[in-house]
Amino acid sequence: MLVLIDDAGFGNPSTFGGPINTPNYTRMADGGLRYNRFHVTALCSPTRAALLTGRNNHAVGFGSVGEFSTGFPGYTAVLPRDCAPLPRILRDTGYSTAAFGKWHLTPDSQQGPAGPFDRWPNGWGFDYFYGFLGGDSGQWDPCLAENQKVIGTPSTFGDAENPYYLPDDMGDKTIEWLHAIRAQDAQKPFFVYFSTGCSHAPHHVSQAWAQKYRGRFDQGWDRLREETFARQKTLGVIPAETELTPRDNAFPAWDSLPDRLKDYYARQMEVYAGFSENADHNVGRVIDAIDELGELDNTLVIWIWGDNGASLEGTITGSFNELTMQNGIPLTDEMQLQLAERYGGIDAWGGQLMMPHYSAAWAWAGNTPFKWGKQVASHLGGTRDPMVVHWPQRVRDRGGLRSQFTHVIDVGPTILDIAGIPQPTHVDGIAQKPMHGSSFADSLVDPATPEHHTQQYFETIGNRSMYKDGWWLAMRTQRIPWVLTPEVLKDFAPGKWDPDADPAELYYLPDDFSQAKDVAAQHPDKVAELKNLFWEEASKYQVLPLMATLSTFFGMVPPLPEVSRYEFRGDVQNVLSGMVPRIYNHSYTITADLLVPPGGAEGVIVAEADHLGGFSLFVQDGTLTHTYSMMGVFVYRQEADIVLPEGEVTVRMEFSADGPKPATGGEVTLFINNEIVGKGRMDHTVPIRFSAYAGMDIGRDNGGVVDRSYEDKKPFPFTGTVHKVVFDIKPHLSDDENELHATSQHGQTAHAITA
Amino acid sequence: MKFDNETIDVLIGGYMSRDAAHDDYEAVRQSGGYLHGAVVVSKDVDGALAVEQTDHMVREGAAGLGAIGFAVGLFAPPLLAATAVGAAMGAGAGKLLHHRTENRLGEQAGETIPLGGAGLIVAYPHSAAGKVEPAIKRAVKKVIGEAEGHHVQALKSALSDAQQKMRADSS
Repeated sequence: MLVLIDDAGFGNPSTFGGPINTPNYTRMADGGLRYNRFHVTALCSPTRAALLTGRNNHAVGFGSVGEFSTGFPGYTAVLPRDCAPLPRILRDTGYSTAAFGKWHLTPDSQQGPAGPFDRWPNGWGFDYFYGFLGGDSGQWDPCLAENQKVIGTPSTFGDAENPYYLPDDMGDKTIEWLHAIRAQDAQKPFFVYFSTGCSHAPHHVSQAWAQKYRGRFDQGWDRLREETFARQKTLGVIPAETELTPRDNAFPAWDSLPDRLKDYYARQMEVYAGFSENADHNVGRVIDAIDELGELDNTLVIWIWGDNGASLEGTITGSFNELTMQNGIPLTDEMQLQLAERYGGIDAWGGQLMMPHYSAAWAWAGNTPFKWGKQVASHLGGTRDPMVVHWPQRVRDRGGLRSQFTHVIDVGPTILDIAGIPQPTHVDGIAQKPMHGSSFADSLVDPATPEHHTQQYFETIGNRSMYKDGWWLAMRTQRIPWVLTPEVLKDFAPGKWDPDADPAELYYLPDDFSQAKDVAAQHPDKVAELKNLFWEEASKYQVLPLMATLSTFFGMVPPLPEVSRYEFRGDVQNVLSGMVPRIYNHSYTITADLLVPPGGAEGVIVAEADHLGGFSLFVQDGTLTHTYSMMGVFVYRQEADIVLPEGEVTVRMEFSADGPKPATGGEVTLFINNEIVGKGRMDHTVPIRFSAYAGMDIGRDNGGVVDRSYEDKKPFPFTGTVHKVVFDIKPHLSDDENELHATSQHGQTAHAITA
Repeated sequence: MKFDNETIDVLIGGYMSRDAAHDDYEAVRQSGGYLHGAVVVSKDVDGALAVEQTDHMVREGAAGLGAIGFAVGLFAPPLLAATAVGAAMGAGAGKLLHHRTENRLGEQAGETIPLGGAGLIVAYPHSAAGKVEPAIKRAVKKVIGEAEGHHVQALKSALSDAQQKMRADSS
């Protein structure tokens, strides 16, 4: 059983001295082993690709995330056929295989019923998949996939007393699958990949879990780091001589915050902690089920607490809606607080009406004792996470600590080593590239076993490092991870940015666990050696071309799309968020052909996403209405001034943009049978993406609703007939069109690298 | 209170939540500064309006301020939601001093306040500014108009001044 927690840091779980109570993780660690020098890439999909292939992430096309696919071999987001992944190998050698939860390894453009499916979980070798394909998901209202079908939001989402909750469901489904396997075959080995959406944003958890941490973070992030650091030393998960790294000026001192905002900030971390503890609880339920089957002693459990360091993407303010940052909406902490109040207040942070992300400073504290966090591959805050290995039948040194340098690409080779399965030389007739990782299986039984993994490159969005024999060269691009403004990016354009001119830091990790002592000035030869080695490795593993941020920002965009008209028949549902017609920054029309029965009809004609970003064209009380939510910050509504007639009816919403520019304002006109029936203005529109996960539906509004006036009737199906809905994205001419296309690609990229 | 040649300030605050506007409304009431009046108007995301106002506002209105009125529908395209909220509230400000405040305000605010937004209008003698203005801590958009003259005229001019500033900041 392989467990992967999302967006979490070395200093989060109590098992490693953090403030978040993780009794099941501690149970596994006390009965097994803690690894305190385990490393990941600094980003979601790359770590997952490396974990499941045993190969360096760029070498399997995942220099970046599934949403971002380019023509450069290291950044295609398409798994090569000569790199058969671990689940495929296990399935072919007699294991039942299943994956639950977050996937994030299917290109954004392939997540529909037309596939292709070879890069869906089944194509990677999992017999069964239940989870979500994208980079994050609401826990209350996920848009789920099962095997090769997007099945949408579970029907129990609308149950007010017992609302649907994905982490609970993941536990249930995993246990159900295990029971079904055993009901058929008492001996067949299984491989479960349990990949939680927690603790990625949106931070969704019930009050009961969040309230356990009420008041526990009032001391602020600076003090929290000190407390965590002290516990880490007491536990012995960091060496006694470790130094706590200082706060970078990118993060404000807690004491510098206005007192009136401290409750707002503290609440963010309370919810994150409750969310994380709930993940521990649900993993524990699965472990209990394996135990109840009598198989825990001979089940290898590898549990990694974080696919990268804790996420800095909430910016300093945190956000009531994780996508405000991605859509470039500048909001102060006071504004964020007020928007949270609009949707229920800070006590409702984590509930169904918000999609929160905490402050980057909390994430930094979660990465104690290291610097930085997610996306920053140059430093351990982004790349070092806890790992626990539990296998009672073989591990004798229970509760022991292992400090060999290990990396996520070692997990696959280790599992094969323990299972006694050789790496295949051919799969489907295709010669296979060997895995790049090395097995750490011998460390399970021998604490003194030598370190096998002696050299490793890291690269994420230009941040990079080179590790060799204890030395770590760190080269961070001089950009704050959450800042993607044109003014900042222009300094990193090809030809302008000189990677070798970035400041070089050098650490000797055997003596400096936390990267507190930069010794670059004392060892210039070592710096030069590791710089050269990085370029060699980068060339070998398809890291090149090296770019600070991503290629689309520098003129390398895909061809213009040839389609500007999209037709959806009336029964199409759950079109995933990355595949909806890209109406952003454009003029466009939505036209629907309806049959309205005698007596009239009501319900949703078409809706995308929800009240925190999305649109809905619907009929209520006989009135055709268009509601548009600009990320929950601005909400616009236009209504027809006549009652929708009976019979065959054509309705149209026309948005006339002020100009082809990001977040353009414009005029909305509503038509019924080509007669103007309503007008309104939208001063601001969504420039990049409505939602990270919520889908588009014809004839209903699945999941969270766009206009809360029909919340009590959700999914508010149309009571007449929707023959079809047509999106026509008005083309702009020549330069405008190219500029818009480039802007669109920038937006998608900005979303991708924060997913 | 002398009504001749006084200087009146009008503060307009814009908010993204009713809670925030209400907090500042309570804060100015507790500030110890004399108020000619204060009113907070909010609209939730479903479009429902809510109005709170001080007794002063009603009293001032009944004293003969019924002629004051301002143009509605400022179409400023602000960068931030806060500005939009403030600008919209500027449009509604005049109606807040109408002696038939409740009905007219609802009509006016329905057209001008963004869904989910809120606004606060406070009128006070300039001599009270040192107590009133520091009490406003949560406005994400704030302007202050000022005018001198007979009470009614000063109030009207100060409101107009504030509205113009709001409009200028929003363009």
